[in-house]
Amino acid sequence: MPELAFAELGFKERLKVDLFPTIWCPGCGIGTIMIQLAMVLDEMGMNETNTIIVTGIGCTGRMGSYLKHESVYTLHGRTLPVAEAIKQVRPEMQVVVVSGDGDTASIGGNHLIHAIRRNAPLTVLCNNNEIYGLTGGQTGPTTPTGTKTLSSPAGNPNTPINLQGLVRSSPHALYAKTTVYHQIHMRNVIREAIEHPGFSFVDITSQCIENNGRRIGFASANDMLTFYRKTYKRAPKDATELARFEIGVLYPDGHATNGTDGAATAAPAAPAAAPEAAKAKPVVDDEEKARRRAESQKRLALMQRLDPEVKLRVAKGELTLAAALLEAGIDPDGAA
Amino acid sequence: MRKLTQGNEAVFRGAVAAGANYFAGYPISPSTEILNVASGWAAEHPEFRFLQAEDEIASANAIIGASLAGAKSFTATSGPGFSLMQEAVGYAQKVGVPCVFVDVQRVGPATGMPTMPGQGDIMQVRYGSTGDYSPIAFYPNGAEEAFRVTIEAFNAAEESLSPVVVLSDTFVGHLNEVIDLDELAAGIQVVPRTLVPLGKHEAGRPRFFAGVLMYEHGPNAGEPATADADEYLRQFYDAKHRHAEVARRYALYEHGWNRDAKVLIICYGIVSRVASPLSADYALFRPIRIHPLLAEELRAISDRYQQIVCIEANDGQYADMVELALRREVKRVPLLGGRISLEAVRDGLDRVLSGGPSEPPIPPAPTEPVERSPLGVG
Repeated sequence: MPELAFAELGFKERLKVDLFPTIWCPGCGIGTIMIQLAMVLDEMGMNETNTIIVTGIGCTGRMGSYLKHESVYTLHGRTLPVAEAIKQVRPEMQVVVVSGDGDTASIGGNHLIHAIRRNAPLTVLCNNNEIYGLTGGQTGPTTPTGTKTLSSPAGNPNTPINLQGLVRSSPHALYAKTTVYHQIHMRNVIREAIEHPGFSFVDITSQCIENNGRRIGFASANDMLTFYRKTYKRAPKDATELARFEIGVLYPDGHATNGTDGAATAAPAAPAAAPEAAKAKPVVDDEEKARRRAESQKRLALMQRLDPEVKLRVAKGELTLAAALLEAGIDPDGAA
Repeated sequence: MRKLTQGNEAVFRGAVAAGANYFAGYPISPSTEILNVASGWAAEHPEFRFLQAEDEIASANAIIGASLAGAKSFTATSGPGFSLMQEAVGYAQKVGVPCVFVDVQRVGPATGMPTMPGQGDIMQVRYGSTGDYSPIAFYPNGAEEAFRVTIEAFNAAEESLSPVVVLSDTFVGHLNEVIDLDELAAGIQVVPRTLVPLGKHEAGRPRFFAGVLMYEHGPNAGEPATADADEYLRQFYDAKHRHAEVARRYALYEHGWNRDAKVLIICYGIVSRVASPLSADYALFRPIRIHPLLAEELRAISDRYQQIVCIEANDGQYADMVELALRREVKRVPLLGGRISLEAVRDGLDRVLSGGPSEPPIPPAPTEPVERSPLGVG
């Protein structure tokens, strides 16, 4: 599918913005994943009537409370049995699982293996920050060998779990790897994962600056994102395996777009489970998109002219932009 | 049609009669027949969904997911598997998920004796999960009653919005009785689904089902209430009162045998069948709704008996509850190690009624090699 250069703002409809700011630490990567997921949900016409969110325990688990969807915040590690049963009972619903590496690969590891084996028709987004963040920074199942954490002060002696290998042990499963820095890539692979009719797993490398990054030498979240930008490269189109610092999609055997990393020439098939939703969503043509884009850019430009404090109040929704402009004596239609 | 029906199958058929359309389970003796029958049923009835899960933890969480999605769901296991399910039981209690857990007990603890009958899970049902909650549980003593009680369990689950437990044991589960399921089903009302299924909520107000404390109503609905004790109290007592009210409607028990006798025997499940030849000399109180305790019913009858004896295949788990509720001595006859026999019941009664201890005389360990069973075990 073509990559979108500029996002529509409809994704905000998928979020409970009145609950913002979120519970996550400043600089956390989870918010970025949530925004990209919300964009995909919006693009695909997925809404509260056709899509269920299932999350596990941990920082990532809180995402369910911010998405405007019916969501189940399961016990620690138990997302997959809950999600699989929901899908069995209501096959017409799209079920998206969002959880961290500890929940998915450690306490829930057995469920992961067997959801893969049964090719459960679910999409799993794994916020892989390589640490137990909510409890302060203990070694997780994906923590690299040698990393110092609160529970491995001399460096993690173990080999991290091979999520790619686990998912690829099934000929039917789709595995995608991306990072929080590569946002458009992330959005595209999340969409591909949701469109995949069988089990799909998106392994999203993300930064936990507070309880991991700073301890291992990063000064800021920006430093970590810069590291991702410089280190992670796109895998070759025909890759059948992703190296440690490669991002891309590995399709199941016999997939039409095998090895093309999201650049399929054919139009992506509509998700099997959301035909009604696709119909229900109003069609947004190019003209409308351009109008919305211009409106959003104009709004952004006007915001830049306000005092930082006033800008914050507008962003929080305490003040409308029009009122702020009036107060500041700025003519919205005048020149900058 | 009258048909020879096994206790475990009767539980399954009762579930179907109650409208169950989802089963998840993991093989474990002596409950496995329920899983087997469920898989066969699902193959013939596509609207009935079946999952052979990777373990009991997955089974328990799957029936929670299925119930939230709109199915009437249940699982079946034995003591060790039920231990693995306890966290999920607590989750279903907290979130308010109607579903049914069947526990066909065997001798424990740990792996125990998989083929021997026991009743050691009475307290596990009551207190097995972390935190405070008020479970409803039933314990039939035969195939026919298992069928009826399973339907009532599903009804109670829907009305109380909670996981309800059906207890059974090796003997009740493997007992074959001739019963007419259709005729039985015709006499029982089925409570329809109560919890609104996922995605069929009030438009614009999506729900967040969480094991942590969240505000449920009002302007803060959906926000964490993790530092608000008052919200905890509201939700805790709301559930406690609801469960108690529903339990009152299902106060199933049997008070019979010789009601003019001086000694009241309290027993349940298979022990009540084994002890029935003593019906001329003793009165019987047999709780079918095993949790919460039938305290009012017991208080109403206990004064007319000089002595109360609890006979159970555990070390006095139900007796403890009765003693606490009646504030008078309850003698105990524990039938341990799978020895559930009329002889053991008689010996135990003679011992405790003549002032002896509840612990039976135990012969010393053999000094000669014990003859091995042909199966090579035990």
